[in-house]
Amino acid sequence: MSEAAPSQDFLAEEVRRYHHFITLALWLAAITGAEIVLIFLPIPPMAVLTVLSLMSAGKFFAVILWFMHLIYDKKLLFWLFLTGLLLAFATFAAMIALFGVERIDTKWFA
Amino acid sequence: MSQAADAHDAPTSTGIDHKKLIMWLFLASDCMFFGTLISTHLLYRKLYPTGFTDAEGHQHFIQNLFNIELTSFSTFILLMSSFLMALAVSAMHKGEIKSFRRNVLGVIFFGLIFLGCQVFEFTHFYHQGLTIQNSVLGSTFYVLTGTHGTHVAIGVLWLVLLYFYSFTGKLGGHMGALDVEVAGLYWHFVDIVWIIIFTAVYLVEYLGPSGIWGSGLPVITK
Repeated sequence: MSEAAPSQDFLAEEVRRYHHFITLALWLAAITGAEIVLIFLPIPPMAVLTVLSLMSAGKFFAVILWFMHLIYDKKLLFWLFLTGLLLAFATFAAMIALFGVERIDTKWFA
Repeated sequence: MSQAADAHDAPTSTGIDHKKLIMWLFLASDCMFFGTLISTHLLYRKLYPTGFTDAEGHQHFIQNLFNIELTSFSTFILLMSSFLMALAVSAMHKGEIKSFRRNVLGVIFFGLIFLGCQVFEFTHFYHQGLTIQNSVLGSTFYVLTGTHGTHVAIGVLWLVLLYFYSFTGKLGGHMGALDVEVAGLYWHFVDIVWIIIFTAVYLVEYLGPSGIWGSGLPVITK
């Protein structure tokens, strides 16, 4: 297979992505720092849990979109991965619903 | 979506290289795998809220066992390794093999630090009485974080092989960049799984004076 040298457009795009990666790395570090500070603040636990979940989801999607190139790649890959992710979340929701504390026969523990 | 840098579509029916497509399919299936492990841990954490009992019969609270400084450090290390991996993939796309080697070495180094932190943590927990056999918490915790650690170890091994392979002169051009990109996808996936584990397993233990698991079923004592 013959290998052509990268074009100027291609290199310019790579440089642009390079700056995106640096910005994203700084954001990821900052959000992680904020998460650690957040758990020690005197805020109701459920509020903190909600914010932590949103921060994690933000970091998760930032990595898959930019570091894993999903924002630059074919949309098919995004939908493919999202399918697996939704199935994982559905499994989680189903397990919580089926095996939650309220659904357990506590007499078994007696 | 900008596809300027993807100079050409692959000569396949989807326009996506088969290696990349297969890796994404694998990652989607691995999502379900980790989803199940995380769900199981959270469910049993809720059912057994007070932690575990060691060999002498002493009750331990998991909140007293975790070391948030160490876990935060290893989380930061893994995030930065992901950043270096992105740079390594970018370097390969530009044909800068020396830059690729530098960045991949950094990823390997950070990966090894992460694994070292995990080994230290497991050893510490074991000496504190938490084993894989003595409690449901121990079982789900070690299986979940151990499976993730195994993924990291496989990633490190893969990158070490790629690093040495780059000296043969065969890791070049579009196919070489694709091989690195596929390895990078795997590495980033390991990172995103840890992002979830860090919050769902570690951070939630610090919410409120006794964590958020205080309303579960009572622990059976003999």
